[in-house]
This record gives sequence, structure tokens and C-alpha cells, in this order.
Amino acid sequence: MLADAIKSEAYRLSKNRMTLGFSVLAIPAMFIAGGIVFHTQMRARMAEAVAEAGVGAQPGLAVPAAQAVDLFDRLGVGVAQAANGAIMVFLLLAAAALYAGDYRWETWRLISARNIRPSLIMGKVTTFAGVALLAMAVFILASLIVGLAEAAVTGQGVAFNATGEGTGKMALGFGIAWVRIVQYAMLSLLVAVVTRSLLASLFVPVVVGFGQTLLGQIGMPFLGWGPTDLQAQLLMPGLAYDTVKGAIAAEAAAPVTSATLARALLSLGLWTLVPFGLALAWFQRQDLSKE
Amino acid sequence: MTHVIETRDLAKTYGAVRALDGLSLTIPRGGVYGVLGPNGAGKSTLFRILLGLIRPTAGEASVMGGPVGDIAAGRRMGAMIETPRYPPYMTARQVLEWLSLAHGLRPDKPRVDRWLDRVGLGTAANRRVRGFSVGMLQRLGVAAALITEPELIILDEPTSGMDPPGIQDMRALIRSLADTDGITVVLASHQLLEVQRVCDRVAILNKGQIVREGLVRDLTASGERLRLSLSPIGAAIDLLGDRGVVEGDAVLASVPRNEGPALIRALVERGVDIDEARWVGADLESVFMSETGTVQTPESIHAG
Repeated sequence: MLADAIKSEAYRLSKNRMTLGFSVLAIPAMFIAGGIVFHTQMRARMAEAVAEAGVGAQPGLAVPAAQAVDLFDRLGVGVAQAANGAIMVFLLLAAAALYAGDYRWETWRLISARNIRPSLIMGKVTTFAGVALLAMAVFILASLIVGLAEAAVTGQGVAFNATGEGTGKMALGFGIAWVRIVQYAMLSLLVAVVTRSLLASLFVPVVVGFGQTLLGQIGMPFLGWGPTDLQAQLLMPGLAYDTVKGAIAAEAAAPVTSATLARALLSLGLWTLVPFGLALAWFQRQDLSKE
Repeated sequence: MTHVIETRDLAKTYGAVRALDGLSLTIPRGGVYGVLGPNGAGKSTLFRILLGLIRPTAGEASVMGGPVGDIAAGRRMGAMIETPRYPPYMTARQVLEWLSLAHGLRPDKPRVDRWLDRVGLGTAANRRVRGFSVGMLQRLGVAAALITEPELIILDEPTSGMDPPGIQDMRALIRSLADTDGITVVLASHQLLEVQRVCDRVAILNKGQIVREGLVRDLTASGERLRLSLSPIGAAIDLLGDRGVVEGDAVLASVPRNEGPALIRALVERGVDIDEARWVGADLESVFMSETGTVQTPESIHAG
């Protein structure tokens, strides 16, 4: 039953090429284009600066010795940025299409008699989780492409200095980024089920995310909250995600206590499971014949 | 199992409105079964309950031997409720492939092609549905309901939005589904002539209850009536009471043939001007009107 739901949702989304393209490819494409332009411009500016300064006469202004671009490091950058705001917002297009599409096109009545409702919802969530993985993978690939482009533009070589510890941290970082994206899209699911509106399922999470960002930037200092306080962690899953990322990075300068980490994980868990549970409960009793 | 659908004391209320009011219905396996009724009779509510889209307020319903919501039973049934809609970016073929997957089947090309051909969409298989007319959407809806090759198919207004040739094609398809494929077809339609031509058996609903049920040939075998074009109609209805039904600018009088002349005399004596009087045989339309007390217009009996 769940397998049927996943296969049909994946098939349908695969035919929605516009949505899928924007969700998965838009940000990586912009990232690659921006990276190439940045490195090309930087190279040109640097060359101009060197020419103007007369490098030959002033050894102190010489172009630094070229260092190889570490692609493993670029992988790490990609993983660290895989759940950034832009990617999440563009992924909401796929989330809204998946979660609210059957309301928008009145197609629930075609599929709901032949499957149980929890499977129908889980099929959508699982498909979105797959799309999120795909988008993250493409973004990380884009990070590598930008690294290669930088090497090509600047004439630097490339290296791949992988370490066991770094790989483990990267895997954990990838996992928590994936959880963060799926968690964020749960708001889209809840709004879709309650409002039956594709636009609402697209924009309400954006507004909520924006509000949480404002709370973090402006509200917290005003309220006298610290970033590790329980209320801050619980109200802002984005902050919780950053906290978990910090714990994975285990930077000596900003250690994360186990209590703070627990709060952050609790926040991410609640923001994932509560909207999902509410959406499922609502959906179970919902009249799916309304237009 | 001799019955494909059974309901017992089925009730559904929306606030103070009783859409279904203790409806008990048994639909036998095989043939084409029509569900008729004026606006608000409860047809669509009944279908929606049978499909598990809404829950009844009271009573029981079973489909293909299982309670409503039973997935195994539900997978033996196909349905098209009202004008179907689909994601506009999909082609007709993709819609059927998607629904095949949703129903646990492989998107088998020969099966998809066969049903597209059966509903007359073979040449439009690769066109996106955003450009489809209402009639084409109806055809695709029927194909979507049939893609799993069910034992029972429920069609709500399958000819809505179709042109006359399309209606004729659909009628032939529905008959062939029952006669050739052995699929039990349950349909609601506001085109009573079509229902009379295609259905073996009908139930007439009014105010959430069944007011008449039986074989079409039995329902139409009796009930010859005198059709009187006259004015004023009110005077005729006063005289006829329950035996008279208004049909446009005429009155249908349910009187035995030997009482016809006396009725005409009585009307003339009351000052009624009679333009025309003729005996009409009972058709499904007249049965429908006499049972529901309504004049048939497409608007009045379209939705339930």
C-alpha cells in the first residue's frame, strides 16, 4: 500500500517537470553560475591590482602561491549549506505540489478509495524526502563544480584531502540537513491538509520561517533570550538545526553542551512530528469529496 | 455474492439538512443500474459514502461484500464522480499510468492503450489534459475508473458535457461494459431518456429516501396518463389533486382511460380551456415526475 503510494507520487511529480526543475535545479544552477562569475571576476580584479601595483618591483604584493582547491573541503561546504533557506524555499514548490496537489486538482477521489489514508500521506512525505535528498545531492555536486571552476579559472590544482573524521562529520551533517528540510516542509503538509490550498501550503511556511528568523535576529535580544535557552530552541527549529550542526562540527571555540544538543534535537523532533501527526489526524477524518 | 452494493438505514446530515434519510438499497451484480433523483435527493452523497470520501452519520454500507473503506473491496471498484479533473501537465496516457501505479498495478501500455481506445481517446493519448474539453475529461474519467478492470464501476453523470455522438458512444460503451465485460455499472444521470435506454434497473431517490425501485421495463409498463394542454393549470390541479402532475404548460392526469372523457367534461364545466388532450404511455420521465413531484428540467434533477 505504501509502496503504491510512493510509486504513484514519484511518477506524478516526475511529470511535473517545471516544479521539479525549480525545486531541485534552480539553486544549484544559480550557485554554479554565481561561483563561476565570482571566481572569474576575482581573478580579473586580482590581475588588475597586481598590474597596477607593479608586482615585480614590490615583492610584498606578489600573487600568493597557488594552493590546490580541496574538493573534500568543498563537499563539506556543500553539506553545510545543503539546508540553506533558499534551497528550502525552492523545495517548498515540490512540497506544495505533493501535499496540496490532490486538493488543487480534486484528485483525492480518484485514489483514496483504493488505499488507506496513512499510506497516502506517508507516500507523499516519503516522496518529498526523496526529492530533498536529490536536491541536496545536486547542490553538493554544484559545490564540487564550483570548486573545479575555481581551480580552472585561477589555475590552481585540485586535491581531495579526505579524512575519516571529516567523512563521518559530513555524513552526520548531511543527515541532519535532510531532517531539517523534511521538518520545514511538514508545515507545508499541515497547511495543505487543513486549508486545501496549494498557495497557502507554499507561502505559510515561508512566512513562518521568516517570522522565526526575525525572532532570532530581533526578538531574542529584545526578550533577553540566549541561543541555548529552551524557549529559543523550541520556537526556532532553524536555531536548533544550527545548534546540531555546531555539535557535529565540534568546534572548540563554540562547544555545544549535551543539554543544549538535547533541546535542539527535541525541537527538530517536535517540529517534524507534531505537524505530521496533526495533518494525519485531520486527514483521517477529512471529507475528500469537497471541491 | 449476488449484490455489489448494499446499504441499510444509511443517513447523512449536513447541519440541519438530511442528505440521506435511512436509505436502504441493494444493487444486484450484473447489468446497468441507474440512480435517479432531483436536486438534493442524495445521489452524490450516496456515491461519496460508497467511495469512502465521506462518512455516514448513521447506518451501514458495503461494497463488493466488504464494508466501505475496506481496501480489498475498494480495489474491485472503479468510479467517476462528477466531472473529473487531473493535473493539467499530464497527458491522458500519463494519467492512466499514474492511476495504475496508485492502484498497485504496473503501468501496462497495452492495457492503457486498450482503455483509451475503448473510450475514444486513442488519438489524444499523448495530449496534455489541460487542453481537453469537458467531454474528453468525462471519457478519460471513465477510462480511469476502468483501468484496474474492476467488477463494479460507479459513474456520476457520465455523459455530462458530451455532444450527441459522444453520448451515443458512451451509452454503447456502458452497455458493452455490462454485456461483454461483465462489469456491473451503477450510474446517475439527469438524462432520463438515456437512463431508460441503457439501464436495466433503477432506483428513484427523493429527499434522501428511495421512493421507487425496480426493473425499468416494469416501471414503464404501467402508468398510461392523459396529457392535457390547458389553462388555467391551477383549476385542473384543484380537480385532480394527487392524480395530477404539472409538466410545463400541461397537466399529466393519472386516470383510467374510461374516465378520460368525464375528466375533460368536468374541466370544461369549470371553465378550463383545453387546447389538446392525448394519452401518453409511461416513460421513465413520467415515473420520475410522479414519484418525485417535480417537473424535469436538466437543472432540477442534475445534482443530488
